Order: sequence, then C-alpha cells, then structure tokens
Amino acid sequence: MTKNESANSVLSARLLPHLYRDSVALMRIASATEKRDGILRVGAVMATPANLGILADSGMLPGDLAASPDDLVFVVRGVDEQAVEDALDAAHGLLTVSETSAGAAAEQRPGTLREGIAAGEDAPATLAAISVSGTYAPIVAEQALRNGLHVFCFSDNVSVEDEVRLKRLALEQGLLMMGPDCGTAILDGVPLGFANVVRPGSVGIVAASGTGAQEISRLVHSAGGGVSQLIGVGGRDLSAEVDGMMTGLALDLLAEDVLTSVIVVVSKPPSSSVADRLIERLAATGKPAVACFLGLEDSDSATTGVRIRGTLEAGAIAACELDGHPLEFDDQRSDAVAEAVGGVLGLYTGGTLASEAKLILSRAGVRAEILDLGDDQYTAGKPHPMIDPVGRADRIAAAGYDPEVGVILIDLVLGFGAADDPATPVAEAVAVARERAAADGRALTVIGSVCGTEGDPQGLSRQRAILASAGVLLCPTNASAARLALASTSKENS
Amino acid sequence: MIPGGVQILNVGLPLIVEGAPAGAVLQLDWRPPAFGDADAARLAVGLDTEATRSANEKAIAAVQSTRGKLVAVRPAREVVPGIADGRVLLHAGPPIEVARMCGPMRGALIGAALFEEWAADPTEAAELIDSGAIRVEPCHHHGAVGPMAGVLAPSMPVFVVSEGESLGDGRSAFASLNEGLGKVLRFGAYDAEVITRLRWMRDILGPALDEALAVSGPIDVSSLIAQALAMGDEGHNRNVAATSLLTRRLAPIIAALTPNDRAVAVLRFLAGNDHFALNLSMANAKLAMDAAIGIEDSTLVTAMSRNGVEFGLRVAGSGDRWFTAEVGPADGLFFPGYGPEQANPDLGDSAITETLGLGGFAMAASPAITQFVGGTPADAIAATTSMRRITLGQHPAFPLPPMNFAGAPSGIDILKVLETGVLPVINTGIAHREAGVGQIGAGIVTAPPEVFLKAVRYLAEQRASR
Repeated sequence: MTKNESANSVLSARLLPHLYRDSVALMRIASATEKRDGILRVGAVMATPANLGILADSGMLPGDLAASPDDLVFVVRGVDEQAVEDALDAAHGLLTVSETSAGAAAEQRPGTLREGIAAGEDAPATLAAISVSGTYAPIVAEQALRNGLHVFCFSDNVSVEDEVRLKRLALEQGLLMMGPDCGTAILDGVPLGFANVVRPGSVGIVAASGTGAQEISRLVHSAGGGVSQLIGVGGRDLSAEVDGMMTGLALDLLAEDVLTSVIVVVSKPPSSSVADRLIERLAATGKPAVACFLGLEDSDSATTGVRIRGTLEAGAIAACELDGHPLEFDDQRSDAVAEAVGGVLGLYTGGTLASEAKLILSRAGVRAEILDLGDDQYTAGKPHPMIDPVGRADRIAAAGYDPEVGVILIDLVLGFGAADDPATPVAEAVAVARERAAADGRALTVIGSVCGTEGDPQGLSRQRAILASAGVLLCPTNASAARLALASTSKENS
Repeated sequence: MIPGGVQILNVGLPLIVEGAPAGAVLQLDWRPPAFGDADAARLAVGLDTEATRSANEKAIAAVQSTRGKLVAVRPAREVVPGIADGRVLLHAGPPIEVARMCGPMRGALIGAALFEEWAADPTEAAELIDSGAIRVEPCHHHGAVGPMAGVLAPSMPVFVVSEGESLGDGRSAFASLNEGLGKVLRFGAYDAEVITRLRWMRDILGPALDEALAVSGPIDVSSLIAQALAMGDEGHNRNVAATSLLTRRLAPIIAALTPNDRAVAVLRFLAGNDHFALNLSMANAKLAMDAAIGIEDSTLVTAMSRNGVEFGLRVAGSGDRWFTAEVGPADGLFFPGYGPEQANPDLGDSAITETLGLGGFAMAASPAITQFVGGTPADAIAATTSMRRITLGQHPAFPLPPMNFAGAPSGIDILKVLETGVLPVINTGIAHREAGVGQIGAGIVTAPPEVFLKAVRYLAEQRASR
C-alpha cells in the first residue's frame, strides 16, 4: 500500500542520537502525528535492527539512514516536503510533554447501592431514596431491601405485581417500602420528596396520598401542633391487591414510636374489606386515631372510637383536637366574592387537593371541572407542575378567554421538592386572565389556598402576598377555598 | 423510629432529598444497570443472595490462596492431560470449528502439524486439520493456556506450574514457552525459520530449563510476579522485569550446563525475549482460577479468552460452560506501517492474567505502558481503580506500589459487572489478520457485554430450576 503511494509522496527521517523512549510512548507519538493533514504514515522507533527491518518491510526506511540501536528515529511519509517537515517537528515536540498535562485521577463517586453501602462505613446507610425510571426502580428497590435498607420510592410506572412482591420482601424483614409513587415522608424529622417544614410534634401520619398528607401536616403545624412521623406508603397500598401491607407496618411502627400520640391515616377510600381491617388495626394501636378516607361520611366508629373523616380539612381538625391544639380558622365571607358568571375551573397541582375540591363541589351539585395537572395525561414527559409551574400558568392565562369560566380554583404547594417561587408565575397568569376576561366584559374570580408553612424554603407569607396582590382570594384550607367557590357560584344560581 | 438514624443513599433526582441534612445523604452516580437490559438486571439482583455471597467468598479464597510454583519444563505430551495419544493440537479461546477459525490460528495449526511431522507440507497439514484427522481442542480444556493463537503441540515443552513442590504434587497448569517477537507460530507463521526455532526450543531450551529447575528447586511464581509489579511490569503486556528476574535466577545454573554453547544459546534467547515470562504468568493465573471452577452459586469469572472470532467467558458456578460473543479488534497503537484495517479480531488465552487481577487490572503498576489507557500514570491508576468496582477483593500477593501497596483488584464478579456497567479491561497484543505476518501493535480491549448477560441468564435459569 505504502509503495503505491510512494510515487507522489515524500519520505523523510529525523534521527535523535542516544535518546531512549519506550516503544509504547513512541507508538503513541506516531499515532498522534499520523492524524495531521497531509501525512500518510509515521514511524517512531528505537533504531534496532528489528525495528529498522519493520520499517523497511513497510516501505518506510529511507535508503540513506545510518542509525545505531541507541538512536531514536522518526520517519514520516506525507504529501509534500512542508507537511513532512512540520510533522517531524510536531513528533519531536511530543517527546517532551509538560508534567501538568497529567490529568488528576477523579475520585470515583459510588455508582451502585453496593458501593454506596460500602462507602458509608462511619454512618451506615439505612434508607434508599429511589427516583429513577420505573423500569429500573423495582430492581434498585429489591437490592436495597435485600441489603436491609428501608426504601422511599418516588418512581411511578411500577407494576402492581412488583409492588406486592417488594412489599412482601420488605415485610419479611420489617422494612418500610414507601411507594412506588410515594411523594412524601418525614422520618425522624428528615423530610423526603415533597414535604413541608413542620414542627416536630406528636401527630403520626400514614399517607397513601402525598398532597393529602402535606395538607394535614401543615394544618397541624398552623394549629400549633407538630408531626412525629409522616410515612408515605404509595397510592395503591390500600387497594385490594396490595392489601394495606405497608400501612399495616407503618401503624405498628407508630404504635411503638414514643414520639407519636395521635395517629392519622390519609387515603382515597380503600376497598371496604381493607378499610374495616384497617380501622381495627388503627384501634389496636391503643392511640387516638383518625381515618381520613376522602369521600366517606364523617363519623366516629362506635366500636373502636376511631374518627372517620371524609375530607382532609375534617381529618386535620380531628387530629388537631386529639393532639390538644385545636385548629381554628374562619372561612372567607362569601360577600367578599364578586358575582361569578360561569362555572368553576379547578387547576390543581396536588392530586388529593384536587380530589377534595371535586368532592366538596360535587356534593353541592355544582357544575365544576377540576383538573389534576399532575396526572400522567397532563404531564406526558414534562416535570410535575409542583416542580415546574409554567404549564399551569399557561392554562390559567388561557382560561381568561373562556366565557364558560367564572371562577378559577387553585392550590399552591410549597415545601421541599416544590418550585422555588411557584406564586409568581401564577400571579402573572391571573393578571393576564383577568385582563382577557375584562376585555370581553366579564369578571373572573380566582380563589385558592396555599399548602405551606412559614418555614418552607419559599415562605408562606411571601407566597401568599404575591397571590393576594394579583387579586387571588386566599382561603385558610383547600376545603374552605372550594366552599368559597361554591358560594360564589351559588350566588349566581340564586 | 429508624435505628441508626435516617442515612440516605439517593438513587436519582437530588431534589428528592433536598430537605435532608447534607450529612445524611450520599448521592449515587447511578446508571442503568446491565447495559440497559432491565430483564437481565432483574435476574442479577435475584442472584444476589446470601448463597451467592458465601459461594463467592469461598471461590475468591480458593483463587487467592493458590501460590503456583514453577516446578518443571516438560514436553506437553508427558504432562498435559488428554493429549498423549493420537493427533491432537490445542488452541486459544473457547471451542471453535476449524472452518470458522481466523487466519493466524489456522496458520499456527498448520505450523504445529509440520513441527510434529504429521504432514510433509502445508497443504497436507491443512487437509489433515480440515478433515478432522488432527483433532483440535481448547487449551483451557486441558489445564493449559497459550498466548495469541495459543497452539500447543504434544512435543512442545511447557511450563509446569503446580500447587505443590514438585510435578504431581497437587494440581498443575501448563503453558507453552514464548518464542519471542517477529515471525512466530503464535501469530500464525509456519515457515522454516519458525519450525527450526520450535525444534530448538524442544531439543535445547526446554531440557536446559528443566535441568536448571531441578537444581534451583521450585520457583514461586506469585513472588516473582510481585517483584516484577514493583519493577514496572503489569504481568501481561510488560514482562521485561519478570523475564529478567527469572533469567537472573536461572542464569548461574544454566551457565554451568554443558556443552557451553548450549548455555550461551539459551541465555542469549532469554536475553532477547522481553515476553518470555508472560507464559509463566499465564500458567500461574490458570492454576489459580481453576481452583474456583464448579463452586456452586459462585458468580466469579474463572476464564476470559478469545479465539480470534469469539470471546469466551467462564463462571465458577457454571463449571466448564463457555458464554461467547463475537469479538472485535483491540483499540490500540500500531507498529509503523500498520493500521487497524490489518488487525485480526482479538486473540489468545492471555486474558487469564486479567481474570486473576494482573494486566489491565494492574495497570497502575506499569507507568511505561500507560499510553495504552490514555497516556498518563493518573490514567493508569484510574484504570486500576475502575477495576476495583467489578472485583471481589484485593489480591494479597500482588501489591501495587502506586496504589499505596494495596493489592491488585482480583476476581471479577459478573453481578458487579452488570450493576456498574464497567467491563473488564484487557491488555493485549494485536495480530495481523493474515497468518504469519506477526504482531502489528498492542492495545486494550474490553470484554463484550453479551457474555456477562448470557452468564447471568444461564445462572438464574439454573438457580430457578433447582
């Protein structure tokens, strides 16, 4: 091959007498030099007879080269004299690399659970927080459980078969398998996922519903009480398939937890068989207990004394009362509301908050469309609206054009995990929506509540002030916001 | 409520733990495991049981407590099991049909047949091989290993590395003697020069070394390699220190052999072959790794090997079974006049050294050849550090000076390979794809992911059926 090129190419050598370099170093220089424009082949060798033989075999040995085995020789074949000379200079230059070109070996961060466990010798890991794709989450969770770690699994899209299998494995070892699709937890004061900064206290919460637990915990905090533990179990734990496996374990832990004196379970309504056993189990803890099952009628169980409550607000009121810090607040007066023309549009970021609003409005028979914008059908590959508020803001602004909408009902969830300043995009969108409605000769009422505490990174009063300045009517609880929306539309209806 | 406090390993989004105290969180640099094959990742986690852990402890202990001794150099037919009768030649890598063999391996078989005088010329030799009149089997099936084509003929002298102090005392492993560089059988050359050298090795070199060993007594190979690691070898691609140490040990005895021209020729040969000790390192590694073959439930790799077409992997818990996948050429640096287009797909049993923890795994010890992994001693240390992620422990007999004398990363666990996605790094020579041209470069290869996936699937199936 080289011989065919020799007709229109130049071969030149450079001899460096009595200079030794290891063959590997020389091969690397040859390889680097060969990449230059106009260069066909490069040889860089110690001029031993064997090496000169190799050069000769490949047509790379200039006839006039006189070298001894202690000499270093560069040979370059290129398209013209200049390219060859430049390449010889470059190769020569590569013999002396600067010492600083040596890259420092980067410290290897642990990449696997096994490595993470090995790395934590001083403070052994006790829990794995998992938020990788649902394809891998059950694999990581299984490995964590097998290594004796509790699991907080934020990931969703995990099959119910995997959930059952993993929770069985967890139960065998007395470990918590929180999730999949677990949004929040506070364990021994350490918040995980979406959690508000609440006072340490004596209310223990078991949650199959993330924002439901956040609403109750922040209301307990606002009443002056506090939270001992908040154990998320994932939205499907109280389904017939999963059979409340983790709720059961969480209740056992809270029964033994000395910090906990009141227990609250919050969930969508479980299947009735699961519910009955759960209430028995709640009673068996021997601690005052609230079963907050969204949608059930409020009642106190005659046999067990467990308080059954159908809204988050009612659940929080009951818990606060049992805790000795009664929750007191006033609803906004309905005459504060301008007369609304049109229906209620709920644009929610918190799933359980949306459910609670829907429940209150539908019980009153009011025409309302309540959207949970955190649902898969709206997120479709985008971040959850609690993390990225822009998508909801666009919907609020767009609602200004819709003559069917008289009231927009919103939530605003603060705390760890949530956006840095969720109020501002909402406030800006509300202003735009109201302008658009006004241009059409309509008034648009916006009602909401803020699920947060003063200690949250975003600050409750700061976020409330931003919404209030945009004319959002703020209510103390989500349920109370729903009631105000109800009142404004009732006014229209009456 | 949580004994020991909430100490979190975070796998995924940092925002999930943004409220937790910084001291309570270790963020993992997590990647999808098993090269993106979620089903295999599941199987791997399922295999990660107490039974596996204790089997692996047993396996690595058996491997690392093996201290091979060079006790003799004998004709293969006298010591290598199963090749004394009939016409049989051994080759590198997992089993392969003659029709699919690469050029260099085919050339080496032809050369071996000529050397044994089973055929008068290359054409006849090829016919005997193609017709099956000469049987071909992997070295690995006979307790042996060979570099590159790895062809071993019954009359060739072999290193005998044994557990005990003499031949027949405990298990043994075998490797041919290294011919040097240039036109050599292991790269598929079979002209008169090659055959003449092989005959000289059979008639002069082998007996001389055996006589010298009889005088010197057994040579502890682990300790020889440990010294060589401290002198810049890594036990696979750089062997100049180990070769020098071996030569120094035997030279006074060889020098006394008669007739004296024989002694001079042997010493000249040893002085001219930087890679002579490679085959000894390989036989020692083979002896150690074979100690783990068949340990039920173990996920330790007992062999990695290439036949120029396929890469083969063996795992302790699946005994003699090979898991294979197509192999590509090494990524490397080429001798002047050669390039990747002439490179044969990777070849040879020499990856047995990496299987034990030498070669690419001990790269940190060998600043002289760090250019293979990026150029600086820091890169070499990084290569060794990354092999820690897939191995079961440090080899106590192989301390690496640049790693503060920590032992070489030793004993590949296929479960760790799947978990981390880190593939074993193998230092290798590059053969020309045409028989007989010889070595045209050197570089590194990584084992193909498929062999580890296949092994995990097989072990999981096997476990499920028990």
